[in-house]
Amino acid sequence: MADNWQFVAAAYGLAAAVLGGYWRRLVRLDRKLAAAQVRRRNRPADKIQ
Amino acid sequence: MRFARRAWIVVWKDLTIEGRSKETLNALLFFSLLLLFLFQFALGPDRERLASVLPGLLWLGFILSGLLGLGRTFVGERENDCWDGLRLAPGDKSAIYLGKLAGNLLLMLLVETTLLALFAVFFNVDIGPAAPGLALVVGLGTIGLAAIGTLFAAMTAQVRARELLFPVLLLPVQVPVLLGTVKATEAVLLGEPLGAVAHWLRLLAAADVVYVAIGVLTFDFILDG
Amino acid sequence: MTRALGWLATLGLIGGLVMGFGVAPREVTQGNVQRIMYLHVPTAWVAYLAFGIVFFASIGYLWTRSDAADRLARASAEAGVIFTGVTITAGSIWGKPTWGTWWTWDARLTSAAIMFVMYLGYLLLRGIIEEPEQAARYSAVLGIVAALDVPLVHFSVYWWRTLHQPPTVMKPGPVNMPPAILAALLVNVVAFTLLYTYFVVKRVNTLRREHEVLA
Repeated sequence: MADNWQFVAAAYGLAAAVLGGYWRRLVRLDRKLAAAQVRRRNRPADKIQ
Repeated sequence: MRFARRAWIVVWKDLTIEGRSKETLNALLFFSLLLLFLFQFALGPDRERLASVLPGLLWLGFILSGLLGLGRTFVGERENDCWDGLRLAPGDKSAIYLGKLAGNLLLMLLVETTLLALFAVFFNVDIGPAAPGLALVVGLGTIGLAAIGTLFAAMTAQVRARELLFPVLLLPVQVPVLLGTVKATEAVLLGEPLGAVAHWLRLLAAADVVYVAIGVLTFDFILDG
Repeated sequence: MTRALGWLATLGLIGGLVMGFGVAPREVTQGNVQRIMYLHVPTAWVAYLAFGIVFFASIGYLWTRSDAADRLARASAEAGVIFTGVTITAGSIWGKPTWGTWWTWDARLTSAAIMFVMYLGYLLLRGIIEEPEQAARYSAVLGIVAALDVPLVHFSVYWWRTLHQPPTVMKPGPVNMPPAILAALLVNVVAFTLLYTYFVVKRVNTLRREHEVLA
């Protein structure tokens, strides 16, 4: 039977794209939330001054 | 005893409302008639082809009218601000679930019997000899459909886009019931003995038990908060 | 801690690729296209694991009303849907050269597809309800319903297919697996389980942070 490497490449490529995409989304969300947390922590201090 | 009485009160209340307004039942019966026309128009008048897809069509009709009917289970409560009344009702909330389920079963069986009669007339099927087997299959399938349908109706009643969400949640969960009932109906209509589809009937019975048990156990969490 | 887990998963995946493409031999009857199995089978296993965890976390939430259980259920459901998507796509791509068609209503493909839409509905429900406590409660119930429905779906689809046509002879992977192929498969199962764990831990962290920021 033929090897059909292009199908193997497609399967692994798609999987890498999907899993990598989800990972990137998580990292971005994490960064955004960390920034928001820092902003929140600084805010009460501003009010005191 | 008190449990059964409380379930009965819910059934009685819903039946009284439905008996006075008849809006759900009338609309559903009219809808089944329209479905029948649609099936005929979509598939053409070829009798033989129709006969081969009849069980599927029948259950498609049951499920579509079920989606409409079941989705309305708690609409009355929401529109008339009775939701808090249900929440505040004393005792175990699963009585309310069983009451609603019984009401839905009654409604759906009524619509399904009508649809079956209409099918027999329009598609020229003799369902007389198959009637007992058919009753068993339809009964088992309807319990499964109504059990999850009632639970999901309560779940989506308070949510926005509920008309959309209800079928989207219900249909994938109902795949086992749909497959089982279509296969069993096919066999019954062909005049095969029930023993030939015993594994499907067992699957349907198992699904019914699982669904009703989940409904009874989790309804408290949906209603109560 | 999370970072270490991420590196561990990366290492596992690299090991899995080496095992799958370097160590494991070319399969005799199917050719190299069989190597898709090292992606397809582990992701399928992870999908079932993820939905199992959604089930237990949902019960845990209804029992204890702890936010942690709810976050675990949500994170696990998201990962589960993604891994189910990957396993279906990989299976479909494998099916084209092997069975000659992208999609066939094969028992396992079909039940995976139904599982996929069921949990997509779960995520949809979570997304639509704005009130967090209500969303947690409702989706916990749905998580229990869906998980208990999976075996029913599996049996019904299996009978639906196999009673009317002979079962498919060519399954993803040979019947008697040579040890090298089996080893490659196991390494990949471990690697993808690590990746899943990493995703869930990371997602639970972001959900907790989200809660803290909004509180």
